[in-house]
Amino acid sequence: MTLATPAWFGIDGVGPAWAVLWLLPWALVDGPVSGAIGGLALGLVLDGLTVGGASQVPALLLLGWWWGRLGRRAPPIQRSFNLGLLAWIGSVSVGCSLIVQLLIDRGFVLDPWMRSWGWHTVWSQALITALLAPMLVSLQLLLWRRRSPS
Amino acid sequence: MAPTQWPGSSRLRRVRRLWPWFALVGALLLVRVSKGAGFADAYALLTRPFWPGPAQRDWIESAADLEDRAKLKLLNEDNRRLRGLLGLQQAGEDQGRVAAAVISRTPRGWWQQLELGKGALHGISAGDSVLGPGGLLGRVQSVTPATSRVKLLTAPGSEIGVWLRGSRRHGLLVGLGTSRLQLRFIEKDPKVRPGDLVSTSPASTLLPANVPVGVIQSVNERAVPAPYAVVQLIASPESIDWVQVIIN
Repeated sequence: MTLATPAWFGIDGVGPAWAVLWLLPWALVDGPVSGAIGGLALGLVLDGLTVGGASQVPALLLLGWWWGRLGRRAPPIQRSFNLGLLAWIGSVSVGCSLIVQLLIDRGFVLDPWMRSWGWHTVWSQALITALLAPMLVSLQLLLWRRRSPS
Repeated sequence: MAPTQWPGSSRLRRVRRLWPWFALVGALLLVRVSKGAGFADAYALLTRPFWPGPAQRDWIESAADLEDRAKLKLLNEDNRRLRGLLGLQQAGEDQGRVAAAVISRTPRGWWQQLELGKGALHGISAGDSVLGPGGLLGRVQSVTPATSRVKLLTAPGSEIGVWLRGSRRHGLLVGLGTSRLQLRFIEKDPKVRPGDLVSTSPASTLLPANVPVGVIQSVNERAVPAPYAVVQLIASPESIDWVQVIIN
């Protein structure tokens, strides 16, 4: 999906964080360990598909673990608003982790152009991800719950 | 029920009951008189991200035309000025070109890249320059047997040395994620103007010589520590389906 997303599918050219949309239902159903492993796997694949510079692995790993804990401890999370909110938080977290890596890479001095591009990308991606989450994550939740009845 | 003692007050009550409907009709009349201005503006605002751009063919044709004219100018000048450096010029002409289809593109977002449908099996290797109609787009960053990944010039961290034909000066073209690039100068007075053409250096060894890259849009001469210019790329990564890879 990351490669096949057309340029028009997104907000101002910025597409959704697909990894967040796949990881969220998996982690909610399968728990923290599976979630963290899923985040790690997705992050590694995505890092392999991009030109590099910053990695999505740390953020996805932590998100997978956190969402897994939420899925185990709280009553089943399945309302559209909750799924959208979790996806929004996930997308913002991934974006912020990338900005932090850019900052570290550039000695904690970010060009104003790059700073405004970074925040623009974070908010655009978070919005489109949150809007898609209720539809895509609900469907996947159904699928994963059917496969793991426990 | 007793009849109303005051007929005037019952009429007033009826009018009061009906006033929201009068207001609605009035509002709709306003919409009609203004030719739906409010609705049209709201629609335009909401659908702005989905507006179609200019037809791709027009873009490509105008970009290819601009590239041809710019190349002609540069080559004529080069012929006069660098006749002595025939060896260098010959090397540029001998380079092979491979046409490749763009199979995936991410011109915005965190990673600004193109995925091409040809790779190591076709002679492409990391570091090769990628041209679109209009000029340089980026460089190949990694290859698989059947695909290559191109880091666009707009990507954060992308840096190439460029040549300004007008002022005969060098600059560093830096990608910062935005659709426009920043051209950094070493000199305090770069003597460039909006509209000047930015191209690869005639003596470049990493990139093909004299390839148009972009056009200067504005210059900030007061920037600290050195002035910079804003450059718009001639080749647009959003609209390109085929590119040419220059094999080193």
